[in-house]
Amino acid sequence: MTTNTIYQFYRLLEEDAISFSYRGSFSNNVLTMATQLFKDNVEERHEKLRNKLSFLMIESFQNISRYADKEEDISLYENSEFFMTRNIGDTFYIISANLIDNEKIPMVREKLEQVNTLEKSELNKLYREVLTNKHINEQGGAGLGFIEMVRKTKGQLPFDFVTIDNKQSMFFMQIELRNPKEDDGLPSVSLSDAKQIQALVAQEKILMMHKGDYSEDAIGPMLRMVEENMQNVSLKIHKKIFHFLVEILQNISKHSYALKGKHEGIFQIGYENKNFHIGTGNFILNSEIKKFKDFLDMLNSKTVDELNALYRKYLREGKTTKSGGAGLGLIDLARETIGKLNYEFKKINDIYSFYSLTVKF
Amino acid sequence: MSEPIKLEKTKNSPEIILDKGASIFKIAGRSIVEDPKEFYTSVYNWIENYIKAPLKETNFVFDLEYFNSSSARQIMEIIMLLEKIPDTGNKVKVDWLYEEGDEMSKERGDEIKLVSKLDFEIKEYPSEDF
Repeated sequence: MTTNTIYQFYRLLEEDAISFSYRGSFSNNVLTMATQLFKDNVEERHEKLRNKLSFLMIESFQNISRYADKEEDISLYENSEFFMTRNIGDTFYIISANLIDNEKIPMVREKLEQVNTLEKSELNKLYREVLTNKHINEQGGAGLGFIEMVRKTKGQLPFDFVTIDNKQSMFFMQIELRNPKEDDGLPSVSLSDAKQIQALVAQEKILMMHKGDYSEDAIGPMLRMVEENMQNVSLKIHKKIFHFLVEILQNISKHSYALKGKHEGIFQIGYENKNFHIGTGNFILNSEIKKFKDFLDMLNSKTVDELNALYRKYLREGKTTKSGGAGLGLIDLARETIGKLNYEFKKINDIYSFYSLTVKF
Repeated sequence: MSEPIKLEKTKNSPEIILDKGASIFKIAGRSIVEDPKEFYTSVYNWIENYIKAPLKETNFVFDLEYFNSSSARQIMEIIMLLEKIPDTGNKVKVDWLYEEGDEMSKERGDEIKLVSKLDFEIKEYPSEDF
């Protein structure tokens, strides 16, 4: 993950009001928190969709564990399962990707092609048939999930299988949930977009990514989600990740330039070469860049001992800025990160730029 | 005597008890509020008033599992107020508690101890998981 990675993702997700993706081993915790995140953060005009969205997220998520073929002890590898929910205009997209044994592909394909071509009444009929069928297949799903997805969205389920080797493929599927009361006139985002995002997420070894509004209220659920998912790492690492996240996310909400009233930002956690990487991106006024850059450069020029001394000086003396941070947060990041604070400012227009920052530990 | 302050902990803010009558002075939990200055104003004012006529012995307990850097500033402000107590001829001591294995909370305590002028003790307590 580099500062440029963050910008690249920002561009890919530019139209997303909220998006969240997760890659790695799947637990119900992730699911609970991801659904909560959207429940708390979808705009009011989409309120009626909330329950349906949660339902579909759960179906999609469980579909990953139902059809996924994997070894039990999963650490992160190239073809780890991937899950994403994004809101663009008046549409929500739920994307899943998981490994599947090639021999199962015809069965899954057949089920999906069937539900994608049936009329509503036929779908209902099929649903009842499968529900009462005693010959439920060994995965326990019998395609009920797919039928439900189509019934709830009144649309089709785009899907694809990308061959990995002669044993396995990556199975991609996308659910599209439109707000029937609103029409933004935007074309649907195709499955190939999702595939592109998944490939980049895998390449950059990203575990979790979020794009959205980073006002104070929006940070809470995000932090709790990360916290919930850190239960299996040691308390020491857990605390560090949490600490970095608080500082770096609050940094966005305090210092970012608000576009249309939103402190839009993106954040990513990755795991690479046994280090956790955290990256953020947000807008900043061009007029503030120099002050920021000077401060970051000053911090990067110092040794850890000097940074500690600086932190302690600030701790007693203050220099509290209007937002109360006194620069302590950045000093803290600088002394804890391995190496330097990596940052980049990309000019967007005459008013503001895109500021990305990565740390690792 | 000031009325005691009793704040319940929330997802972002700590439990706070400042009770002269019961001799309890405690900040416990997590402090990740975005505007700690505002949050701690009432606490600061209470202590500022308290140190004019403190108890013979004040034992102030911090049991913070986590705090953000802007809260660190406010915690330091509180500690600097407490540093004035010895001038009144009374005693003050800080107990900084941390859960076993929580190196970060310990390190943060060590650091604040280093910059404070108070009698400052760092104490580990057993992890709840066991």
